Amino acid sequence: MRRGATVRLIAEREVRERLRGRVTRFVTVATALLVVAGIAIPGLIPSQPSTTRIGLVGGAAQALAAPLERAASAAALKVALSNVGGAAAARRLIGAGSLDAAIVRGASSATVEVEQSLPAQTRAVIAAALDEAHFRTALARAGVPLAKVLPALVPVRLATVVLKPLPADQDARYVAAVFVGLLMYVAIALYGTAVATGVAQEKTSRTAEMLLSAVRPQQLLAGKVLGIGVVGLGQLAVAVIAGLLANAVVHSAKIPGSVWAVMPAFLVFFVAGFTLYAFALAAAGALVARPEEVQTVTLPLIMPLPIGYVLTFLAVASPNATWLRVISWLPPLTPTLMPARIALGHVAWWEYPLVAVVMVASIYAIVTAASAVYAGGLLRGGERLSWRAALARRD
Amino acid sequence: MTAGGGETALAVSGLGKRFGELVALDGVALGVARGEIVGLVGRNGAGKTTAMRAVMGILAPDRGTVTWEGRQVGDRARLRFGYMPEERGLYPQMRTLDQVAYFARLHGLGPSAARESAQRWLGRLGLGERSSEKLVALSHGNQQRVQLAVALVHGPQLLILDEPFAGLDPDAVDALSDVLFEEAAAGAAVLFSSHQLELVERICRRVVILESGRVLAAGTLEELRRELPAQLRVKVAAPDRWARGLEGVSVERSDEDGVLLVVAPGTDPQAILSAALAAGPVEHFAFESAGLLDLYRRMVAR
Repeated sequence: MRRGATVRLIAEREVRERLRGRVTRFVTVATALLVVAGIAIPGLIPSQPSTTRIGLVGGAAQALAAPLERAASAAALKVALSNVGGAAAARRLIGAGSLDAAIVRGASSATVEVEQSLPAQTRAVIAAALDEAHFRTALARAGVPLAKVLPALVPVRLATVVLKPLPADQDARYVAAVFVGLLMYVAIALYGTAVATGVAQEKTSRTAEMLLSAVRPQQLLAGKVLGIGVVGLGQLAVAVIAGLLANAVVHSAKIPGSVWAVMPAFLVFFVAGFTLYAFALAAAGALVARPEEVQTVTLPLIMPLPIGYVLTFLAVASPNATWLRVISWLPPLTPTLMPARIALGHVAWWEYPLVAVVMVASIYAIVTAASAVYAGGLLRGGERLSWRAALARRD
Repeated sequence: MTAGGGETALAVSGLGKRFGELVALDGVALGVARGEIVGLVGRNGAGKTTAMRAVMGILAPDRGTVTWEGRQVGDRARLRFGYMPEERGLYPQMRTLDQVAYFARLHGLGPSAARESAQRWLGRLGLGERSSEKLVALSHGNQQRVQLAVALVHGPQLLILDEPFAGLDPDAVDALSDVLFEEAAAGAAVLFSSHQLELVERICRRVVILESGRVLAAGTLEELRRELPAQLRVKVAAPDRWARGLEGVSVERSDEDGVLLVVAPGTDPQAILSAALAAGPVEHFAFESAGLLDLYRRMVAR
């Protein structure tokens, strides 16, 4: 039989048996539900009202209504003003959450009461209104006709020119970077470990010897990685589609076009990263004597994944740091860090061919070394093998 | 090494394998013809499993050749071999029929042919009703039968069975022997290892004895007997002293059934009979037809 057909047969069995198992179905549904919940719940929580509700305590404060409206409109701040009988009532309303701030005005001073903090913009609007009211009163007392000086009271428009503007979708990019880093970490660790577990089961149940009487170890290894990779991609697709549908329903976040554009890149990095880790983990699975030992042998190999995920936060904080750029080229960190950097939009064009060459070369090296360890370890009984022992005893 | 029956189909020669300091195989040669059942015997560690694994391509020998019908055995030829390893093992969570059919497919059968053949073998081994159950749900004996079905499902031309009778109850032993006889009658070559020598003697026409990675002896029981000096039992109604000093004859032991003499090749039995008659009335005079167990012990002790 052709080698490729054998690999496909092995992969098909892997997919069929996994889909038949309850664990796979449970993980698929649970992942999709988690993603949907993560998107839907923030969307369903009512957002903070964008209007600032200000209570005016007493007649003196209530005289500020007109200047407040003017200052707020100049600052493009939405305010809702209401008259409050006394300071105690104002405090009660703030405590109950129906007022954001209350203004109490004395003869030459004023107090703003808030629950915890007064946003700078709100403070500036209130100050401008107080200044205007004070100015009007003073001018009236001095007998200056208001009509003559009113133009002087119109605020001077101050425009800001941004020389190096942030992309409009900057926040969405930050979220996308961290999210894609997390997704890569979890997915590669989950399915990579599944490969190690599958190999360990074949070894410890002695199924491996039966299989090796018909197929080469390389075919067995390739078929297993392929089958579990397909199941993993399928589960990811279900989760992503469920998430997009949930997002469409609750309008939780606008997905910027730039994120859509790099989706194929995420797919490529998942496939490359999974291949790299899955082969190394398969070799680790062939070392064990008992299935319980899988975690012990795989943990050190998986460690770069959470490290890469943590580094995505640093990449968000300082996207242009050279050291981050360089370590994102290191193959164990590439699967988490590069997609995050791509989402941030700080990857230079020449980095793509560089990373492609480094990744392909390291996958080749890992597949070669892992196949040797795998073939050497699969039929060895007795206690857990060291990497060196498995390599020395390959046939 | 000549096969007792027709043309040697499986020919192994000069097979050598070391594991570090340990010499597992040291120039092993053996042959199995189509239609023939050959028994591979020897103590634990003699090299039986290593030799079988080398034939199946599960491990690569350091030297030597394995040929099937005159051609070097490669991956393609091995798909026509059926194997049962000493340490049994199949997917515990996989359904029986799916499992047997899967192994048929790995050996090159198409999807429907694989299923049909799997169904046929499971039915024949009495597992037709259990074919949708997972392997773990079956009893130990039934799991053994599934293992046999997996070895046979693709209609192999050569069967390599490592301790197939180990742990079987007497009924299962008979059932397995019947299957082996039928497969051989249908033209398959069968090589199996066993420690149950009386079983090997009953099933096989030819036997290969391995010892420390070498072939100690090989051939039919008759041929093996000829390799050893003949044993002659004589009972004379007189003390056993008469046998001492006869040329080419030594006394192995003497008991109430007379003396057991080891007779060197070329010695004339008539001379011994004359000596016995001269001593007294001869009650018993016959060459012992040693069983395999006895032959094995004498050969290993040599």
